Amino acid sequence: MVKFLLQRILAFLARVVGAGVIVLLLLELSYCVFGGSDQHIWQPEAYQDEASVIAYDATDWRGLVSERVVSSARVWLIAYGSVLLVGYGWGILAARLRRVKLGALLALPFSLFACVPGFWFVVAVAIYSYFVWQRPGFADEVVVQSGPDLMSWWYASIIALPVLAPAAAWQLRAVSSLIEKEAGRPFVKGLYTVGHRDDTIFYGNVYRQARPAVLGLLDQALPFILGGLVVVEWGFRYDGLGSLFVDCVKGGYYTGILMCSVVVAVVIGLVTFGRELLVKLTSVE
Amino acid sequence: MGNRRSSKTLGVGLEILAKIWRLRLVLLLVIPYLVLSGWLFTATRHDDVRPGEVFTVPDHPLWEKPSEEHRFGTTGTGADLYKLSRIAMANSVSVAVVSSGVGVALTLLVVMLFAFNAGANRFRLLKIISRAGFLLPSFMVIVILAGGAGGSLMLAMIAMTLVIALALAPVTARWFEEGEEGPDILAGYALGLTRQEIVRSRIVPVVIRRLLGVFARMIPVLVMAEMSLSFLGFTGEHISVGAMVAYGRDLIIEAPWMALYPGMMATIVVAVLSLLGTLTAGVLRTGRYPRFL
Repeated sequence: MVKFLLQRILAFLARVVGAGVIVLLLLELSYCVFGGSDQHIWQPEAYQDEASVIAYDATDWRGLVSERVVSSARVWLIAYGSVLLVGYGWGILAARLRRVKLGALLALPFSLFACVPGFWFVVAVAIYSYFVWQRPGFADEVVVQSGPDLMSWWYASIIALPVLAPAAAWQLRAVSSLIEKEAGRPFVKGLYTVGHRDDTIFYGNVYRQARPAVLGLLDQALPFILGGLVVVEWGFRYDGLGSLFVDCVKGGYYTGILMCSVVVAVVIGLVTFGRELLVKLTSVE
Repeated sequence: MGNRRSSKTLGVGLEILAKIWRLRLVLLLVIPYLVLSGWLFTATRHDDVRPGEVFTVPDHPLWEKPSEEHRFGTTGTGADLYKLSRIAMANSVSVAVVSSGVGVALTLLVVMLFAFNAGANRFRLLKIISRAGFLLPSFMVIVILAGGAGGSLMLAMIAMTLVIALALAPVTARWFEEGEEGPDILAGYALGLTRQEIVRSRIVPVVIRRLLGVFARMIPVLVMAEMSLSFLGFTGEHISVGAMVAYGRDLIIEAPWMALYPGMMATIVVAVLSLLGTLTAGVLRTGRYPRFL
């Protein structure tokens, strides 16, 4: 187990370093090769922009990125948490009731909502908020002075919604199809023939057999969620990591782009590490 | 009479009819695609519709609320939003079709470079390269590539194509591996067919069929990606629903319809394309592949 842990930690570090190197190559390719900039990635002056070019009150890049990570963490929590809840809960239910083809029905509302462009959804919410509730709609308009900061959670939910819908639909279908594939194996027919009950076969055999593969899907939706939030946060003028990333790309601030990308890579890498650990533990059991 | 040789022409004709019958569902699905494309691409076109000019707000704006004459209302310069939305959606769909087609073709080309090797680990290098950047969300990669050069549609398309090829290559490699496991393939080897013959005549057609389903499924996804990039201002001066919503976002109090209606049209078009893509992929038995964009 210790050997496995050390291996995975090493793999995690290698992946994060790899992601950083890829971002550097992308920066050189896009800004210098295609964009004609003379700020090459190996020149120290390319990283000397102050964080205050993005936010006036920012002291340094590290502080600014940390502040934005805290803001975005709320959105990540809502989006990823909901995707796991819906994806696994409803996915298992859909597989359990596979004879009535419940999976397609359960995924339908999410699939339909996935057709709504996220950036348009947040602008539409801002318009609705202004005309119906008579209050400014975009996230940076209201600051809660006292009491629980429910407004932030409300804004975070609005931003999370357009990315969680397609991710949840995908996760739900992926989970249910994996379990259904397991349920189609010959040993299941054998158990039915012997006279076992349907729920005993499903939870006691099919689900148990499919569990490692199902847990393997744990981190699949996360890159999609974090990538999608880039545009939705910017659209809603939400001060999160996604909008910071877009502002940095627009301004050509290498430090900001690199730090945002590495933070995202670390978050995804940590979840992947957790998934690998969980799969290993489940397999051992 | 009974020994008369059957006509060769009749045989060929029957074979063609049988092929058409096998493809009947795919051919049926082509009809709604043509109807949708026809509706989008017959909008009155002006070759150089630039969002910067159309969405300029003059001192005395000419905008009108949605009415019978202008279903989606008009912009500050008096341009009809419904027509503009159709032109914008036609642009987005064109970009998506080209990027999806080139991306899928590039994927096949890259995987074919390794497919004829005999070793069990022939796709290892391909999988390692594809896995190298998996911690970075695909959309962030596209944003850096397209945005870094100051925003260009061509670069955005190249970025989308590369991302598709990188993400799909391991999936396609797996399809090749699965294709070689069937009993018919083993029978082919037993009958003395060479590896090249088996890959070319038995596996490649199946992979191409599945990739056509991916192509259809990728179109709505890429329409969304193109609109998102355009919303961020990374596709240059080119009209798209994303750019229209971005301009409308600054006028939500004065002219809310400028952001609302183009987005509604985009939602409907994407929903129709998604439905058609899912049906096409179902008919072509594409199967599942990871969501990456």
